[in-house]
Amino acid sequence: MKALEVRSISKMFPGNLANDNISFSVEKGEIFAIVGENGAGKSTLMNIIYGIYTPSGGDLLVNENEVKIRSVEDAIKLRMGMVHQEFMLIPRFTVTQNIVIGDEPHKGIFFDYGRAVREVRELSERVSLTVDATALAGDLPVGVQQRVEILKVLRRGAEILIFDEPTAVLTPEETVELFVTMRKLQTEGKTILFISHKLKEVMEIADRIAVLRRGKLQGIVNKKDTTEEELARMMVGRNVVLEIPKVDVEVGPVAFACHDLHVRNKRGYEAVKGMSFDVHGGEVVGIAGVQGNGQDELVNAMIGFSHPVSGSMELNGKNMRMVTTAQLRKEGMSYITEDRARRGLVMPYTIRENAVMGQHLARPFSKGIRMDYDKVGEFAEGKVKEYDIRPGDVYDTAGSLSGGNQQKLILARELSLPHNFLIASQPTRGLDVGATEFVYRKLLEEKKAGKAILLISLELSEILGLSDRILVMFEGRIVGETTPDKTTEEALGLLMLGVGNDKKVQS
Amino acid sequence: MNILQINLTIAQMLDYTMPILFAALCGVLSESAGVVNIGLDGIMRFGAFFGLLGAFFSHSPWIGLLFGIAIGCLVGALHAFITIRWNGDQTVSGTAINVIAVGLMTYLLEYVFSTTGYSPQLQNYFGAQAYRVHLPFLAKIPLLGAFSNLSFMIWFGFICTVLMHVLLYHTVLGLRIRTCGENPKAATTLGINVFRIRWFAVVAGAALAGIGGATLSISSFSGFSDSMPNGVGFIGLAAMIFGKWTPFGALGAALLFGTGQIVQSIIAVTGIAPKLAPGLTLILPYVLTLAVLAGFVGKSVAPAADGLPYYKEQR
Repeated sequence: MKALEVRSISKMFPGNLANDNISFSVEKGEIFAIVGENGAGKSTLMNIIYGIYTPSGGDLLVNENEVKIRSVEDAIKLRMGMVHQEFMLIPRFTVTQNIVIGDEPHKGIFFDYGRAVREVRELSERVSLTVDATALAGDLPVGVQQRVEILKVLRRGAEILIFDEPTAVLTPEETVELFVTMRKLQTEGKTILFISHKLKEVMEIADRIAVLRRGKLQGIVNKKDTTEEELARMMVGRNVVLEIPKVDVEVGPVAFACHDLHVRNKRGYEAVKGMSFDVHGGEVVGIAGVQGNGQDELVNAMIGFSHPVSGSMELNGKNMRMVTTAQLRKEGMSYITEDRARRGLVMPYTIRENAVMGQHLARPFSKGIRMDYDKVGEFAEGKVKEYDIRPGDVYDTAGSLSGGNQQKLILARELSLPHNFLIASQPTRGLDVGATEFVYRKLLEEKKAGKAILLISLELSEILGLSDRILVMFEGRIVGETTPDKTTEEALGLLMLGVGNDKKVQS
Repeated sequence: MNILQINLTIAQMLDYTMPILFAALCGVLSESAGVVNIGLDGIMRFGAFFGLLGAFFSHSPWIGLLFGIAIGCLVGALHAFITIRWNGDQTVSGTAINVIAVGLMTYLLEYVFSTTGYSPQLQNYFGAQAYRVHLPFLAKIPLLGAFSNLSFMIWFGFICTVLMHVLLYHTVLGLRIRTCGENPKAATTLGINVFRIRWFAVVAGAALAGIGGATLSISSFSGFSDSMPNGVGFIGLAAMIFGKWTPFGALGAALLFGTGQIVQSIIAVTGIAPKLAPGLTLILPYVLTLAVLAGFVGKSVAPAADGLPYYKEQR
């Protein structure tokens, strides 16, 4: 039986056809994946099915009956549930409150919290998703927050579950756990729509896969009959080089060096405990490590957000220990961040403004106190073309761009600043294959141009593919140094967990 | 000061407290649902004048109170219409209400009563002996004696605080109101109609501000004066923030600010007033407000989506 059928659905946003005549059907008890690049229209389609957006045209069928879904209430009545990409949790509410809002156990007008807690506990036991019913949602790790989201939709009797990029925020272990849960739900006869741009995961969990590109359905394939490469080609519209080519560049002089660097974190604890390393021109130094081992604090110190407690930091031979970010940038530092929303861009500002930020005070963009927006616009137009930022209207806000295009905008700005040292902190986090490939290409171009690059990443394939030297960071220290040809992902993974650090590099 | 004087001072303090409290409760309800209502000072001015109007022509403060509630709802509906229906800027809408209230009430005062500055005095108001709540068994007990002979509006203020607490923290509606103030998108995904909830919270809150205004003109005082509410609405907003957006917190803060108001009278009684510059004692409550805000506002956290318009199809 078809649990869900989508017939010729279209959705028009002002100036943007987000979904263009999409049709497919999902069998009951199937795990159906929808893949596509960021901005391909996956989330829009799910929001239509779930009644948050109204489609511009097309029909929906649930259990082979035509239905009109005008609101979320309608979708819930049709036994649909959605686990959103950004969690819809209220940090100040307890787990129980979060799960029952909208369908609360009550006595008259009074909310029966006691019964709600009991119901949540029973449910959590029945489907073996463990949560502390009385904990505050905001105190929970992300993986558990997601469990709360799943419980929320199950409690409302959902038969069709939509997971919108559920793994984007999860650690690998949490992802494994999520997949176990999804399989269990499948055996109970639930139908699952799984939205993702991570092909490896899709190949692991899905039965059938639909590929979207720029709002259009490119095709539906059986998992058995396809490969990651084929999916990537369908998604991007051309062959994608998932392999990173080796580039050999003559190593130049030292650009950045630090010695015995100690940095405190926000709470005042020492998070970087004496790190010493240098980065030469034309060299990529990769820092591998599990998140939370001092990488953030190291970067903060290097970009002048916080000052090291002790130790030395030099950029092009000049002492940079107690300087501001502006001085560092003047000396030739550029910074690509994974935190696009808070550090990389000013989301409500236009592409035009974001593109010149940092050099906005310099000629030709400003003359005295006046901004020359003609010159700013010209510059931004040029960068939008050069970096293929889409849609290419420089008057669009940065926030309206997809993640990949936002990252391109950051690259466009940072690489156009005069620099010889580049910090790339998780530069491909949350990006799809196309955008990831673009970032790799740009980084390699930088390397060829003789820039010194420090790459901090959680993705081992990225570290191994791009780096000339690899430093492994564990609990604020460098616990190993190696090169890509002398190590494997497994060996690095062990080092990252603090296992077998026999060749400690501490100087 | 003897016991009688102390009792009298406490009762007077409560008279000052209640308008602040009603304003603060208005803020708590409205902002819990995510709508900032900076216009509550203006709504109080509406409430004060229309409360007086109702009481004056009907010779009953009860009718005055109903007038206050009605005008509060009406002006609240205007704010809701602008900010919820059309996603107008909440600060601009609130400021407009404040400005309109100043001019319109002065005009109406002169138009209806042909006087300037003060309306005629009421004989039947909640502060009059006939309308007080008499609890003789308390009269002999020190301190509690102050509560033996209070205006109905003071008790009503306490009752509203409790009701508001029950509403927000023990009812289904309250949970939904707070959801809309914390994360309206989440509320939508759970099938809650954010617009309807916000309308309710703004209008019901504004009714409380209307009551607060009426309390000034038909309970604390026996008439409307052109300077009303004298910034009480803004002090109420401060009390809401200081009270961390909770009803009992607002009550505590309102009591503190009310005490600030009577410190002037205490100073007058003790006889050091002549040595101080004239007007210095008058600014005391406001200095207190500023000091408290500067010292505590950092620790008080507003609902996450407070003041943000909600667009359902925003990407």
